[in-house]
Amino acid sequence: MILYRGKLYETSHQTKLLQKLEKDINDTRVNKRLDISKVIASVDVIGQKLENGVYRERIEALGMEGIEEQIRTISAMASRESLEYRMAVELGELKEPLLSGQPVNVRQESSLTELDTYVYPLGTLFHIGAGNREGLPVYSVLEGLLTGNVNILKLPQADQGLSIEILQTLLEIEPSLAEFLYVFDTPSTDLDAMCAMARMSDGVVVWGGDEAVAAVRRFAPPGIRLIEWGHKLSFAYLSGLEEMEEKALDQELQALAEHIISTRQILCSSCQVIYLDQQDMEEVHKFCRRFLPYLERAALGFPAKSIGMRAQLSMSRYCDTLQKVITKEKVSKRQVFHGRDCSLTACEDMELELSEMFGNCLVKRLPKEKMPEMLRRKKGYLQTAGLLCPEGKRQEFLKRLAVCGVTRITSVGKMSETFSGEAHDGDYPLRRYVRVADVTKR
Amino acid sequence: MKNRSRLFGWKEPFDVARTEGLFLEAVKENCRFQYEHCEPYRKILEHFQFSPEDLKENKDIERLPFLPTWVFKNHTLFSMPERRMLIQATSSGTKGKFSRIGFEFSGLWSGLRMVWKIGRWRRLFSFCPAHYIVLGYKPHKGNQTAVTKTAYGATLFTPALSRTFALKIKNGSYEPDLDGVISAIEKHSKGRFPVRFMGFPSYLYFVLRKMEEQKIRVKLPKGSKILLGGGWKQFYTQQVDKQILYQLAEQVLGVKESEVIEFFGAVEHPILYCDCPKHHFHVPVYSRVVIRDVDTLKPVKMGEVGLVNLITPMTLATPILSIMTDDLGALHEGNECGCGIKSPYLEIIGRVGFQDIQTCAAGAAAYLNEK
Repeated sequence: MILYRGKLYETSHQTKLLQKLEKDINDTRVNKRLDISKVIASVDVIGQKLENGVYRERIEALGMEGIEEQIRTISAMASRESLEYRMAVELGELKEPLLSGQPVNVRQESSLTELDTYVYPLGTLFHIGAGNREGLPVYSVLEGLLTGNVNILKLPQADQGLSIEILQTLLEIEPSLAEFLYVFDTPSTDLDAMCAMARMSDGVVVWGGDEAVAAVRRFAPPGIRLIEWGHKLSFAYLSGLEEMEEKALDQELQALAEHIISTRQILCSSCQVIYLDQQDMEEVHKFCRRFLPYLERAALGFPAKSIGMRAQLSMSRYCDTLQKVITKEKVSKRQVFHGRDCSLTACEDMELELSEMFGNCLVKRLPKEKMPEMLRRKKGYLQTAGLLCPEGKRQEFLKRLAVCGVTRITSVGKMSETFSGEAHDGDYPLRRYVRVADVTKR
Repeated sequence: MKNRSRLFGWKEPFDVARTEGLFLEAVKENCRFQYEHCEPYRKILEHFQFSPEDLKENKDIERLPFLPTWVFKNHTLFSMPERRMLIQATSSGTKGKFSRIGFEFSGLWSGLRMVWKIGRWRRLFSFCPAHYIVLGYKPHKGNQTAVTKTAYGATLFTPALSRTFALKIKNGSYEPDLDGVISAIEKHSKGRFPVRFMGFPSYLYFVLRKMEEQKIRVKLPKGSKILLGGGWKQFYTQQVDKQILYQLAEQVLGVKESEVIEFFGAVEHPILYCDCPKHHFHVPVYSRVVIRDVDTLKPVKMGEVGLVNLITPMTLATPILSIMTDDLGALHEGNECGCGIKSPYLEIIGRVGFQDIQTCAAGAAAYLNEK
């Protein structure tokens, strides 16, 4: 299905529609300015609908876990208050000029300035949605609308129709958005169409893994702003546990275990490796023995993995070893601590890497002196660090983690929680979806 | 390779109990050869601190490091120069990667002797000509898959009057032609000669369902047989109870359950597993099965479900001596079957794998899809 200026078309109309898309977009850009307050108002209504259970059946049919929690988070994010707060945080002094079309005030007050600075939407955004989370394509388009852009969305192949349905509802609430929204279900393999859409855009927003990002880098013409929301890796960092009060430590470890199990370690923000600020391997083994019961307890609250999945995990582990043996890579020593439906693997190396996921976490040493060397190897992939240490050491570690390139630092139990006004992978998306135009005063 | 020759020439194909010692010797002989001629294989054995000389009793076969089919899909492991291999076959590679397995003359010869023994036992050979309906791929120069070769090979069990294929090349790719199959069935049902089906059970099921929907019922000539193999492949979700398939075959084609014969095999373990009249896969003398715990990969007890590890000393060209399949299964005592064969039988229960997982952790999607 294609959604073009509020009307639905069969996929077979793609070529015809693409031929007139650029002209239609140019007409809109010249003649219309998107009223962002209307975007905020209609998104707020969508949020309320979501909270009132309008899409409940559809969302449940997707078979996601923790639906209640997710719906609560999304409707909170869609509220007027939250949207306005987000715009204020991300756009700062650029927010009002974007909304009003007036130049940036601050500059006018200074005697130095010879310019009027206007804030415009970047122009046309081409969103390449990823199928890894339902609703993500809609989310990306909403960010584009919030900054007044014309949006072309390429749906992920796995999309089951929910995205178009939600966007249609949005247009019912606010028909004036229709000219700013085009949705195509083009497959990624249709390079001609993808290139055509990229060529008429000012920015390409790509969600997905390395492969998706690399593909966009190959076909996007130079000069177009690339906004890449790639896949990331996260970890927990534990230091000075022996100095911590027993009860507080116990709670934190349980929270970490629940985070690992409940996110199944498949999110960008999921803990893949638990790093200990230690030199000694014996300490790593000791920690595994201590932490395994916490992980087992957390696993009890979730459905057990299927036998096929357990078999797959064991085989992957075994194949990894054989791969290294065959390619003569050094096989680092690993000791697996099996728990019921979960495991911890004590590793001798210090590399930040993907775990086997699904409740199978890696545990490694990483003395703080080694932190820059090891973490910098994964620059571009670093996202959340869950930090657990005595209060007195907190500042020191926050700074060190941030310097290494980590973009979110939370307590160990909250690594995957959403916080109002937080950046996205170290960046403010809205800031990237606008541009400034300087005009000399005469 | 005296021991292999004796093993594959053994008179009784299911006389597992009396071939234990011979099997061990044949495995040892094969293991030594692979160890000496295939460097990656030697490295793997050394990594697990195992030497061919450690094979002292049958129990030791369980300790022999096994190679998952994943290894053959990602690495080409050969133990002799390619010019000495008579043929190379590949797996069907449903995820885009496939195993390349080479066979030398003596290995193939062993295989032929095995097929002769098993085929005679299950009365697969006949001088009476038959029409063949291959529920699989029509051979094509671009298709090296073993499943195509064996399905075609099975049409040589009797003189073939005609061959109809369910999957034909159309515009460069295979497309099912169920209507063509159905009209061939209707035509042959009126003739004198028996019809033999050979191929994927899923396609037989699709054909039978379609005939049932169109209310087409035939009675195939006496001696008609249905030979099934190659598993359910991409149609796992539509897997039907075998019993339903047998009933459908009798209702729609008039072929009795006893004439439905199922095979199980893999290019990485080229042993002809053929079901007994009670439809159980008894372990033949050429092969041994170890079921392994899904978490620890240690052998489990009889009757317990685990990963299926298959062992055979049939081939020298590729180190497929002990391989781990992607199947989950269980081994049962032979006498629980009731067909008279005493060797244990293998039951295939499912496949390893993740469900559809959506992830944004770096590298996770590739990890989940590749293994």
